Amino acid sequence: MIKIEEVRKSFGNLEVLKGIDLTVDKGEVVCLIGGSGSGKSTLLMCINALESIQSGRIEVDGIDVHAPSTDKNKLRRKLGIVFQQFNAFPHLTARENVALAPRHVLGLPKSETNQLAEHYLAHVGLGDKLDAYPTQLSGGQQQRLAIARALAMKPDYMLLDEVTSALDPELVGEVLDTLRLLAREGMTMIAVTHEIPFAREVADRVAFFHDGVIHEIGPARDLISSPQRTRTRDFLGKIL
Amino acid sequence: MNNISTTFTANDLLLMLQGAGVTFLLTIVSGIGGTVLGFLIGWGRSLRAPWLYYPLGAYIEIMRAVPLIIQFVLMNSFMAILGYAINPFLSGIISLTLYIAAYVAEVVRAGIDAVPHPMVRAARGLGLGYIQAFRLVVVPLGLKTVLPAWTGLMLGLMKDTSLIAVLGASPPELLRSSQIIITRIQEPLAVLTGAGAFYFIMCWLITLAVRRYEQRPLLQSLGR
Repeated sequence: MIKIEEVRKSFGNLEVLKGIDLTVDKGEVVCLIGGSGSGKSTLLMCINALESIQSGRIEVDGIDVHAPSTDKNKLRRKLGIVFQQFNAFPHLTARENVALAPRHVLGLPKSETNQLAEHYLAHVGLGDKLDAYPTQLSGGQQQRLAIARALAMKPDYMLLDEVTSALDPELVGEVLDTLRLLAREGMTMIAVTHEIPFAREVADRVAFFHDGVIHEIGPARDLISSPQRTRTRDFLGKIL
Repeated sequence: MNNISTTFTANDLLLMLQGAGVTFLLTIVSGIGGTVLGFLIGWGRSLRAPWLYYPLGAYIEIMRAVPLIIQFVLMNSFMAILGYAINPFLSGIISLTLYIAAYVAEVVRAGIDAVPHPMVRAARGLGLGYIQAFRLVVVPLGLKTVLPAWTGLMLGLMKDTSLIAVLGASPPELLRSSQIIITRIQEPLAVLTGAGAFYFIMCWLITLAVRRYEQRPLLQSLGR
């Protein structure tokens, strides 16, 4: 379970998170929607301690993420993260990209990490691209590689930061299919997304961010089909 | 009266070969020392901590602004004043190391800065520690930027070793050996042409070695 309480976060004088409360249960899929600069991506970074917070508290399975005594590297094994930019390591093949963290973070032997890599690459439909370098892959393939790379650490949660935003429109579908697959398998996910139909279909709950707070949150279908608050309605009206 | 030969003898060739060896040795030793030190300085600056960034920056500016020949003389005198009467050869190596490190530091910092931050964040997001992310992602990616510039520095360093002659360091390096021969046989053009050829061959060997390294699959994959 991920428990976020009263989280505030500023960059210099700019407060981007102004008191966020959110609890995500095991197996749940929560989509975060909202305009750019509303703080949704920043929240993801705070959940796995890639960004610090000013006040409040984030707990992952009871571990206080931002406590000084918390081993952040160890914590991040629980939390796979995929970004908008694909960030596949260009000097490594697909197989090496996926095998890197299991090898160096978990210390698994090479034979085992290669097997892991092959398994997860096949899982996201890249079984025939094991020895390809990222520059030989399309954007959609690179993003699926990034997903496989995160999955290979066998995380309990997946944090997805606008993973389809940098893709050409015709490549969005294949990445969303991969996420649907994860959802069906019961992976707990927090996804920042602009794909509203996808959110309605896959998410259990949707949270609408506005100006650093969760302006409205509710079951996916309800929030998207019949938003209660004006700003949510305006936003959805513009984007749909 | 003993005969002083006024032509180029086999011994002269040996002297030049020995000089070339000394030049090569000076380049390798101060090149390795300067690269290690420069790497640490460049990495230290990339951390952007003010208490480290500015002092290291000052070091780099000073070493790059003061002519190397002055640094040689100052270092040699400085060591003597401190009571370490080390030989000019060693003091020359120390000067060359400190000098080239300043240049290497800037190249290293540029290499580190050339690796996109999101790439590093992705590595950390996978649970890799700071040092692991640096070693496994930043270094291999930054190397692509660093290598050509670094090679240029090393070739420059090789030629700069000739300035050590002002200290009267012994054994003589290539240029000094050539001067010794010129004084005797009075054929500056021929001898300097020969010395130039030696420098060229040594530079070419270094370039060749780096090029072989650059063609490893790891770096090749980045070019695609």
